[in-house]
Amino acid sequence: MSSDLKELKKIEKDADQCMKCGFCSFFCPVYQEEHTETSVARGKNFLVKEILKGNQEFTPEMGEIIGKCLLCKRCVANCPSKTQIDRVVVGARAQMVKDKGLGFIKDFAFRKVMSNRKAFGRYVKLASKFQWIFPKGEGNIRHLPDFLKALGQGRHIPAIAKTFLRDQVEEVNKPQDGKEPKMRVGYFMGCATDFIYPELGKKIIDFLTKRGIEVVVPKEQNCCGAAIYFSGDFETGRKLAKDNIDAFKDVDYIVTACGTCSSTLKDYKVYLPDNEDQQKAYEEFGKKIKDATEFVVDVMKVNLDELKLKKEFEGKTATWHDPCHLIRYQNIKEQPRAILRALKGLKFAEMPNADLCCGMGGSFSVYHYDLTKKIADKKMAGIKATNADIVVTACPGCMINLIDNVARSKMPQKVHHLLELVE
Amino acid sequence: MIKESLIGEFEKIVGKENVLTSKESLKAYSYDGTSSWIHEPDVVLFPTSTAEIAAIMKIANAEKVPVTPRGGGTNVSGGSVPIQGGIVLALAKFNKIIRIDKENMTATVEPGVVLMDLNMALAREGLFFPPDPQSFLGATLGGIIAENAGGPACVKYGVTKQYILGLEVVLPTGDVINVGGRTLKNVVGYDLTMLFVSSEGTLGVVTKAELKLNPMPPARKTIMAVYDDVAKAGENVFRVLENGVIPNKIELLDNWVINRIEEMMPMGLPKDADAVLLFETDGIPEAVEKETEKIVEIAKKYGATDVRVAKDQAEADKYWLARRAGFAAVFGKAPTVFAEDVTVPRGRIPDLIRKCKELAKKYAVEIVVLGHAGDGNLHPSILTDIKNKDHYDRAVKAMDEIIEGAVELGGVISGEHGIGLEKQKFFRKIENPKVIDIMKGIKALVDPNNIMNPGKIW
Ligand SMILES: Cc1cc2nc3c(=O)[nH]c(=O)nc-3n(C[C@H](O)[C@H](O)[C@H](O)COP(=O)(O)OP(=O)(O)OC[C@H]3O[C@@H](n4cnc5c(N)ncnc54)[C@H](O)[C@@H]3O)c2cc1C
Ligand code: SF4
Ligand code: SF4
Repeated sequence: MSSDLKELKKIEKDADQCMKCGFCSFFCPVYQEEHTETSVARGKNFLVKEILKGNQEFTPEMGEIIGKCLLCKRCVANCPSKTQIDRVVVGARAQMVKDKGLGFIKDFAFRKVMSNRKAFGRYVKLASKFQWIFPKGEGNIRHLPDFLKALGQGRHIPAIAKTFLRDQVEEVNKPQDGKEPKMRVGYFMGCATDFIYPELGKKIIDFLTKRGIEVVVPKEQNCCGAAIYFSGDFETGRKLAKDNIDAFKDVDYIVTACGTCSSTLKDYKVYLPDNEDQQKAYEEFGKKIKDATEFVVDVMKVNLDELKLKKEFEGKTATWHDPCHLIRYQNIKEQPRAILRALKGLKFAEMPNADLCCGMGGSFSVYHYDLTKKIADKKMAGIKATNADIVVTACPGCMINLIDNVARSKMPQKVHHLLELVE
Repeated sequence: MIKESLIGEFEKIVGKENVLTSKESLKAYSYDGTSSWIHEPDVVLFPTSTAEIAAIMKIANAEKVPVTPRGGGTNVSGGSVPIQGGIVLALAKFNKIIRIDKENMTATVEPGVVLMDLNMALAREGLFFPPDPQSFLGATLGGIIAENAGGPACVKYGVTKQYILGLEVVLPTGDVINVGGRTLKNVVGYDLTMLFVSSEGTLGVVTKAELKLNPMPPARKTIMAVYDDVAKAGENVFRVLENGVIPNKIELLDNWVINRIEEMMPMGLPKDADAVLLFETDGIPEAVEKETEKIVEIAKKYGATDVRVAKDQAEADKYWLARRAGFAAVFGKAPTVFAEDVTVPRGRIPDLIRKCKELAKKYAVEIVVLGHAGDGNLHPSILTDIKNKDHYDRAVKAMDEIIEGAVELGGVISGEHGIGLEKQKFFRKIENPKVIDIMKGIKALVDPNNIMNPGKIW
């Protein structure tokens, strides 16, 4: 093989951690549906090691295998050897993109999606709006964030907003009481909030400025890059990282209400660095990133008892879905629950398997929608068991998938972002 | 290599999606929980019924194709590695719990049911299946039966064979037989059920099992005792038992393991202790209280420097998590690890530990001890590196002597992991040739063409 295996060598140590105990199979949502070794961390890891040893090539099937991972980290959280399979999988994808080009991984499945003319039309339209990220051409369609690509395929998905958030908000938002700001915070929108949930963005700006914080919304901010670098396109990932680092200077914190974005921004340092300068820059940047849930509870230390529940949720029962990117990537578990429990007038019911991945997994759900549906069915069973009126979470990516599956299962629940509940 | 035309036959039996032949898939079924054995099969099949398995076996037998059953692939003796190629019969999709009978306290399961899934279903009914191999997250009932697995709780409850009432087995010829039954007592000729338990997949495929269950004990307590000498900990094990208390678990961690666990997940284990014993008692609350008191008293009397009773389940869970992390701690620290499975009569535990310490000095290798002290199954593990020839050779010698030492103490070479490929050389050396002949005779009778998991045990 002519490959230098540079990206793979970076994760060789992670791959070597695995002692092949097979415990991950119990936790892996994909294995639990397919029951095959190649679905789960142990098998993926073994095959990646085979590539490192020169016994295996990046074949199309190998692409399928490393593609078929939700990156949900359930295996990692429960691995006795602490094997970081997310790094192994992402590193392998990066190596593959480097050696074979991005199309190689995605072409097959992508063609399936593309053959749907109507869906294709929507991609093109959306892609045209993405010009600020990517140069024109078919390539940028491939780079659409995954949840946008998930449109079509007969899904129940919220409509694209008429006016994007970036066109609705000011760049600088002073505290509403007119006083000197307590803090200067950068707000990172994230694509889903920008294009689909602009109201959520306005909500968080309002929430913060009401409490004496100055919020800046740099227009140069870009996509967080999750969809892109988790697919292995590290080159574009690094470009986005640079854009975002440059966009947010002179702020105390960078806050986002998207769990995937907050984890992705924090983790540039885990996946992307190619040299020491980048490592340092990513680490520095990561320190400033706060997910909205942890920002409210741990940094602002808002007195939760004073939070007011919006009228429309009065008397309702809420259940909480843990986004993988919050609970396992950022260890954020208690903060959102503390908020839900504190909201007077709202009942909180813990669902069984709250930490189970919803099945979205970024590009996973585009290429393996059937599996997504099966995994989501288990999530739906958990929601049903609570008899809740609303499903609350803090990641627009999960929201899109939950809305789709609640509707598909003909369930009555509405899906909300945690901050939508608060006055 | 398997004949191309057979693949089509198999597809007709189990469906195209249940036949894997790609290079990548075959690699993913070339290993199990061991580090030293790897061999690819020619095809992986996922049957989901007894009839499918019978049909597959008929073809395999006629064509003399090796068949290796595979459950969770968690065994640590090379048992599910298809060492002669052929078919891997992957049973992971044949995994329904057919019935839980509360009245008779039995369960009927398909072989691919994962132990943890069974435990969760039983807990909802107030029942439990006592054998508790620590691989419960991955191990299947088929593999557990084929290896006669047992875990910490065997001090009080015994191992798998005590909980198997009956089995349905597909023989290598494709014939289906039922052995045993659904009753607690059963003396109808030879006890063939026991023949299949611990047969390591060499005599047939277990396709259904009738399990004996216990009621879930309503209370449990964990006690941690600390020792400044690992041999004293070993002695404590039988002191507790001879004083009339049978805890359901007694597990041992030595100083090295304690320190690695503390590095991995700091949880306040005493780092300077030479060894720690973890006890668990279970049963009705009053008895558990009394037994706990008694264990604390005896541990103190026989040299424990500190004894702690976990104040709640959370603290107890922490200790048991540490115990489970023990294996990972060992494997994560050296490129090659010999995890031995020797088992000695309980009273000889201190002798075995002393022996390990001597050998560690003699061969200048690290030998760590962690294991099911309650049943004398100690898992001394030697850390080495196959690439460092000199060190590796010393480690091999140390291992040989541990095994000889254990046998001299009246023990056996494997308590729970089985012979598979890993222990063959010791099996041949230590087992009486007449006994091996009887086993081989049984094998030839049941499997005339030697197609069931060939190459294993002897
Ligand atoms: C971290 C770790 C901890 C462990 N702890 C313990 C422990 O505490 N106690 C213990 O006893 N073991 C332990 N083991 C070993 C292992 O988990 C057990 O041997 C277990 O019973 C294997 O089950 P499995 O489903 O993974 O079987 P596999 O590994 O797939 O197969 C084991 C053997 O059974 C055969 N087999 C599988 N299914 C069938 C079937 N349906 N019919 C016929 N033959 C079949 C296979 O051919 C093979 O020979 C541990 C392993 C690991 C990795
Ligand atoms: S749980 Fe961890 S060590 Fe065990 S097989 Fe999975 S990745 Fe490997
Ligand atoms: S990250 Fe999730 S989907 Fe991927 S191997 Fe681990 S458990 Fe399975």
